[in-house]
Amino acid sequence: MTRSIQQISLLVGKDLRIEARSRQTVGLVVVLGVLIVVVLGLGLGAQQGGAGLAATAVLWTAYLFSGVLCFEKTMGVERADAALAGLLMAPVDRSVIFFAKLITNLALMLCVASVVTAAGVLFFSFDLSAAPWRFAGIMSLGMIGFAAVGTLFSAVVSSTRLQGGLLALTVFPLALPLVISSTQALLRIFRDGEDMGAQALAVIIAFDVIFLVASWVLFEWVLEP
Amino acid sequence: MSLAALQSSMEAAVIVAAAPIKTVGLGMAIDGRPILQDITLEIGRGEFAAVLGANGAGKSTLLKVIATLARSTEGTLELFGKTVGRDSAELRRRIGLIAHQSMLYRELTARENLLFFAKLYGIAEPVKRAELLLEVIGLSNRANDPVKSFSRGMVQRVAIARSLLHDPELILADEPFDGLDAPSVAATEQLLRHLHNSGKTILLVNHDISQSLQLASRAVVMRKGRIVIDAAAQSLNASQVLIEVSGA
Repeated sequence: MTRSIQQISLLVGKDLRIEARSRQTVGLVVVLGVLIVVVLGLGLGAQQGGAGLAATAVLWTAYLFSGVLCFEKTMGVERADAALAGLLMAPVDRSVIFFAKLITNLALMLCVASVVTAAGVLFFSFDLSAAPWRFAGIMSLGMIGFAAVGTLFSAVVSSTRLQGGLLALTVFPLALPLVISSTQALLRIFRDGEDMGAQALAVIIAFDVIFLVASWVLFEWVLEP
Repeated sequence: MSLAALQSSMEAAVIVAAAPIKTVGLGMAIDGRPILQDITLEIGRGEFAAVLGANGAGKSTLLKVIATLARSTEGTLELFGKTVGRDSAELRRRIGLIAHQSMLYRELTARENLLFFAKLYGIAEPVKRAELLLEVIGLSNRANDPVKSFSRGMVQRVAIARSLLHDPELILADEPFDGLDAPSVAATEQLLRHLHNSGKTILLVNHDISQSLQLASRAVVMRKGRIVIDAAAQSLNASQVLIEVSGA
């Protein structure tokens, strides 16, 4: 267990160091996320949107596209120069690689989400002050499940020749329950001024648990050098 | 000595004496197309064998299967006397893989790459080991430069150092001379000879027949996924192998 945790921290540290040097992922993904917020905001007439359906849906759209780009980039690091083969030759359990990639993806997504959310709040005059922690909690829970699915499928897609766009095609439909549930929960809080609703929260938590376990189990079978 | 202890020590002795590589009837097919067919091969401890063949003969696939990076669909593979199964982490610890792709992170420096892999392997003194290997490959003065700034020859030297970090008993080398200039080829040849002389078992996949016959003590020639020659390298000449490789 201790050895696995050491290896996970080693792998996450390596990924974050590479990201800090190359700035390939965060820079690009932040720009993409903010662009989505701005373009959709302009299209939907953001200033009048307030804290309604548009704001939460647009934020989720930005998170989804940014997330997919994150997953592709972080797995791309392992594909370049066949680094993944080097990793698989080391005495490292594949579940260790999965959790390390998941943590890296989550860290990058949360980093990007903080900028994208700020842009959304400004652009949509979305008043988060009513329940900032509940907003952060729901979004973070949603991102855990989304990152689990994305990490699994980025490993599948990166080993095929059909890389461009395929990840989004596979991950977006799967993430639908998350998007619907978290959007509903946020609408209840920010538009209706009610509690988030136990059902929506239960769906998000169930999604997280199911896809964390399923991705962890399946990752071993899909990771090919 | 108790019976159990005697049995245990005998098993240990068998494993120590076991061939680093033993395949029996190994086969692999992708989408029904055979890539490897009935590969039966035993590479003994300390041997230097070269696998030769034309493009698509199955050389690299065979090496991948032996490296446990790909799964065969038929036959059995034993490494160091143990059948390769799903969990081969301990067996992989005894293998060093060198390929034409570096398997390094280009954004990291040479030192960072070696330290990362040394820690991943759980080597006792990772810093010391990485520094030693940087000295051996003659790149101590460039240790803090990112790998992406290196020439192909320098990258290959770091890649070789990475494969030797955990002092493996078996070295698998897949086209390690690809894209190297003459001095780098000579340096890599010298390193492989040195590793062989120090008792390592080496399996080299190479398309250069003459070079392989000079380096290795044994030649395994493959054609269309099958072994067509398995003989002492000294007993073969390049033109004879070329005929077999091309199937003329």
